[in-house]
Amino acid sequence: MSAVRIHIPPVRLAKLLRTPGGLPVAEAVQRAGAGLESLKGECLTELQSVLDSAEGCAARVGAAYDPALLDELYAIVATPIGIPSVCGLASVDTALISLSDLLDYLKGQQRWDANAVAVHLRAFRLLLHTEGAADAAGTQAILAGLRKVSQRYARPETAAE
Amino acid sequence: MGLNPESRARFNLERASVLLLEDSTMGMSILVQILTGFGVKTLHRCENVEEAQATVQKVELDLVIADALGASGEGYDFIKWLRQSRIEPNCFAPVLLTAGHTPRDAVSKARDCGAHFIMAKPLTPITVLERILWISKEGRRFVECDTYMGPDRRFKNEGVPPGTVGRRRDDLPAVVGEAETPNMDQDVIDGLMKTRRVEL
Repeated sequence: MSAVRIHIPPVRLAKLLRTPGGLPVAEAVQRAGAGLESLKGECLTELQSVLDSAEGCAARVGAAYDPALLDELYAIVATPIGIPSVCGLASVDTALISLSDLLDYLKGQQRWDANAVAVHLRAFRLLLHTEGAADAAGTQAILAGLRKVSQRYARPETAAE
Repeated sequence: MGLNPESRARFNLERASVLLLEDSTMGMSILVQILTGFGVKTLHRCENVEEAQATVQKVELDLVIADALGASGEGYDFIKWLRQSRIEPNCFAPVLLTAGHTPRDAVSKARDCGAHFIMAKPLTPITVLERILWISKEGRRFVECDTYMGPDRRFKNEGVPPGTVGRRRDDLPAVVGEAETPNMDQDVIDGLMKTRRVEL
């Protein structure tokens, strides 16, 4: 058992938060929300660029497992997680998380499944371009389908053949 | 937790010095919009670990919000470096770690890096504020040992993890043994509960 030191350091932030002035929670949240709203256009452009890069990268992967390309694709789709929700496209975030899970599982098992990746990218394109018009139940069905696909690889013993 | 977004309770972050570590331009813009909305005026924006380390060495920080920085997990390494740097008071600063996706092989790294809280993206203003208020609470214990330096990760006393005997001197066994002394007399218990007049 190693030597352990437990102490309580002073937290200046706690004192600052209590200083007079500042903002009410409601106003701060509203101001932050308005700031995020101003990023919507940029976020949509960024997501289109992410989709193009992801499709391009996936197209370069052959039938066999290629760790370098898989890492590249993972970086392309995992980095923008959080951006779609700023544009009100939470379902795209869910699709990106599902695809990141899938790529992480595939990497762990040193496998490649072009169809599983392709179905995620098609869903990404569909949700990005049509969510405003799509019904909520349809979106949920798409996301549930993606989750099923990625979870097939969640445990090595139950991985899809 | 559960901060009400309609709350009129006030907080002041105007004089807080905040370090942001985020390599994605949009990710950084999102954080900046959220924090400026909260009234933060001093933001140190760092796009990589080297910039963040340089900032830690020259500026006094009140809060650190760092991204895990993808599969490489460089953000976790930065937090570990910050804790072990012994640059006071920054090494004790409240740290919020954000992550879009945590690969399975980085889960233990994320848990052990020494962050106060790990927030999964997408971030919303109310959850970020909630976490900032939570991690800034005074009286939070800090643990320093050979393998870990950071806030005490035990928020609730639910006993030692199942199947273990505990690593701390004051950890109690999960199974309560037989009583070693006779039960207290009921009169004594009643006496403890009874309201009494006291002289101040």
